[in-house]
Amino acid sequence: MNILSRLKPRSREGSLGLILIVTIGITGLINPRFLTGDGTRDLFTSTAVVALLAIGMAPVIIMRHIDLSVASTVGLTAWFVADICAKNPDFTWIHCFIIGPMIGMVVGIINGLLVAGLRLPSLVVTLGTLYIVRGAVYVISNSVDYNAQEMPPSLLDLGQKVFFGVMPFTFLLVIIAMLITAWFMKYRKAGRDCYAIGSNPHAANLVGLKVFRRTFLGFVFSGAMAGLAGVFYLMRFAQVDSTAFYGQELSVVAAAVIGGVTILGGSGTTVGALIGALLVQTIQGGLAAIGVDAFWKAAINGLLLITAIYADRVLARKSELALLAQRIRERA
Amino acid sequence: MVQKGDLLLQMKGVQKRFGGAIALRGADLSIRAGEIHALLGENGAGKSTMLKILAGVHVNDGGTITLGSKVFTTGSPQASIEQGIAVIYQEPSLFLDLSLAENVFIGRQPMKGAAIDWEFAQSEAARLFAELGVQLDPKRQARGLSIADQQVVEIAKALSMNANIILMDEPTAALSASEVERLMTVMKSLKEANKAVIFVSHRLDEVLAISDYITVMRDGATVSENPVGATDLQKIIKEMVGRELTELFPKTEHKIGEIVLEVTGMSNPAYFRDISFSVRKGEIVALAGLVGSGRSEVARAIFGIDKYETGSVKIKGVELEKGSPIAAMAKKIALVPEDRRQQGLFMIAGVDRNIAMESFDRLKKARVFLNFKKERALTETWREKLSIKYAGPSNPVDSLSGGNQQKVVLAKWLATDPDILIVDEPTRGIDVGTKAEVHKLIDTAAGEGKAVLMISSELPEVLGMADRIIVMREGRKVAELSRAEATQENVIAAATTGKVGA
Repeated sequence: MNILSRLKPRSREGSLGLILIVTIGITGLINPRFLTGDGTRDLFTSTAVVALLAIGMAPVIIMRHIDLSVASTVGLTAWFVADICAKNPDFTWIHCFIIGPMIGMVVGIINGLLVAGLRLPSLVVTLGTLYIVRGAVYVISNSVDYNAQEMPPSLLDLGQKVFFGVMPFTFLLVIIAMLITAWFMKYRKAGRDCYAIGSNPHAANLVGLKVFRRTFLGFVFSGAMAGLAGVFYLMRFAQVDSTAFYGQELSVVAAAVIGGVTILGGSGTTVGALIGALLVQTIQGGLAAIGVDAFWKAAINGLLLITAIYADRVLARKSELALLAQRIRERA
Repeated sequence: MVQKGDLLLQMKGVQKRFGGAIALRGADLSIRAGEIHALLGENGAGKSTMLKILAGVHVNDGGTITLGSKVFTTGSPQASIEQGIAVIYQEPSLFLDLSLAENVFIGRQPMKGAAIDWEFAQSEAARLFAELGVQLDPKRQARGLSIADQQVVEIAKALSMNANIILMDEPTAALSASEVERLMTVMKSLKEANKAVIFVSHRLDEVLAISDYITVMRDGATVSENPVGATDLQKIIKEMVGRELTELFPKTEHKIGEIVLEVTGMSNPAYFRDISFSVRKGEIVALAGLVGSGRSEVARAIFGIDKYETGSVKIKGVELEKGSPIAAMAKKIALVPEDRRQQGLFMIAGVDRNIAMESFDRLKKARVFLNFKKERALTETWREKLSIKYAGPSNPVDSLSGGNQQKVVLAKWLATDPDILIVDEPTRGIDVGTKAEVHKLIDTAAGEGKAVLMISSELPEVLGMADRIIVMREGRKVAELSRAEATQENVIAAATTGKVGA
């Protein structure tokens, strides 16, 4: 409990958590199945991949960058891990958990070198790697798909493992990843540097922060998490082809932003990113549970995103007005 | 342990060039412990370059810099910090999303084991704020803090780094009178602690009140270094200005007609208060004053970019609608803004498109389509009139030199044939030759019967061009001088002290 109280959510995360609970409550009232153990487990299982990616991308967004290549990286690692396991039948889940993040890291290193080293805008760089990585999967996979029988049984068993009836193994790892990252971002200099860099890049240079190193490692971390998320993808679906997780990068950005990770950098937490991912999934799952057509999913996502940005804007405007009022008082 | 009076920093014959421009041609500065040292000079004298070399932002090309007995290591902000030099920029460079405690300790957070010790950081920040005599909550976010409080945070940061040389670039420029007083108390307590404080300021009354030593710079070199008792206001102003004002300016006498622009009691409390003045046909009126005194804001309010709370603007006796540039343009007002790259031009659009921008209505074909022939003809007319130099009329203005860019902005507005021409810092950042041409254009515009309102921080320009000079200080009009009355000394005195006869 100690660590939880030390990671006491600030008002932003607190209110998001409240919104999440209310949303779950309302959904549960309409469709009681949603509140059962099965319903909760389904929510966690279906959120795990996006949540892990949002946590991985949070430091990048906090540094005023973005990583659009994550969904392609999930596809790449999922396919490669399955491919390697199919060719090495003695591999277990441990191999997968090592190989996956390493493949993701390669993409992260490329992104990091281009953004931090050549100072190219991350939006364009990662849009480029998004296409390159996906293109590479198409070419290399040569339309080969993999199914459950070609994957390590230990990995698939782990994917089915549930603690206390509600907590899937993958989501437990997501929570652990969130806690470690949250601690790191709050209690390590490198983590604080991320906030400073995103808040005022010019000043970060003036006070001598290691901007290159932090930016580079941020992308490597995001890549590694995307690699792990690729393994999670296999654990959930036990099946992979070259289009795996196609086009999902923006739901990750959306989850982080809805969770209060400001797209302009400088603020947000991984706790928020996780809550954001859960909130998106709850609302979608909830709408499905009350019988809203699945075609509404994308539109609802967009509406949530704009609401979150609007909330940010309102808060920013409020502090601007306070500043102006103060100025007037001082000049008087 | 540093003793009061020990020589902490010595700069000798320091030189710095930026491309072809010489910023420093041999500047000297000596700083002792327990001293408040003012660095004075006109805009462009090289003060900021000196500070930036010490801050590790620029590297000097020549000369020697020693810290005590050691040679100063240049070239990185980190190195300067490690050598005990802290810089507080005119625009404080805080991280607005972070807490005050964190801003104080950024990059140097106190650790307890593997984790940052936030409690210690907060109590330490609180102690530093208290030491500086200011009530600030260390847990508070820096966003929304006044400039004065942001400076206090920067000073606390300097103290926490154990800096013994603290540089401040125009720390009082954006402060109110009571905040200036508080800052001075802080500066004195730093002096008591045997730190050296170097500060740049244009407010000479403050400088004389607080400094122990005054160094005056002009044209990239040091003119004088004196203890405060050995100099006075008159002497400092002479040293700063240095040259006799020659008739560089093509100002000619014009017939001055009726009042065209009349501003009465205009106030926007955040920026300026109770501003009244008028400009007549054929007259050039200058708005002088320090940067931040509210001059540009007055111009923006007249043109309708910002609103004002009370007062009125009349054009030829008819009240002008507030807050509407379209209404202002319909009344034939033109505003050539201070920042041509951001506000005056579409940098990637062609020269022709930029010049025609405000004249589209006259260049239309069948009331809808832009007539490119007319656009070209208009561009050609103004190219000749203003001798603008460019490779081709559709080349992006980004490819032009600063002086030619400024001419394009002027051409754009002159093409609308305005009755009132407002120019904000019309010659900033352009070379001497083009400067003279721009001055001639402004004079010609006045000669054609336009009413000209010119904002300028360059005194020679103000004195050389204006029929009348209005001096602003801290958002208020403090003096109105005719061409005959105005001298460099009394305009500087009014802008820096608020009194004409200092």
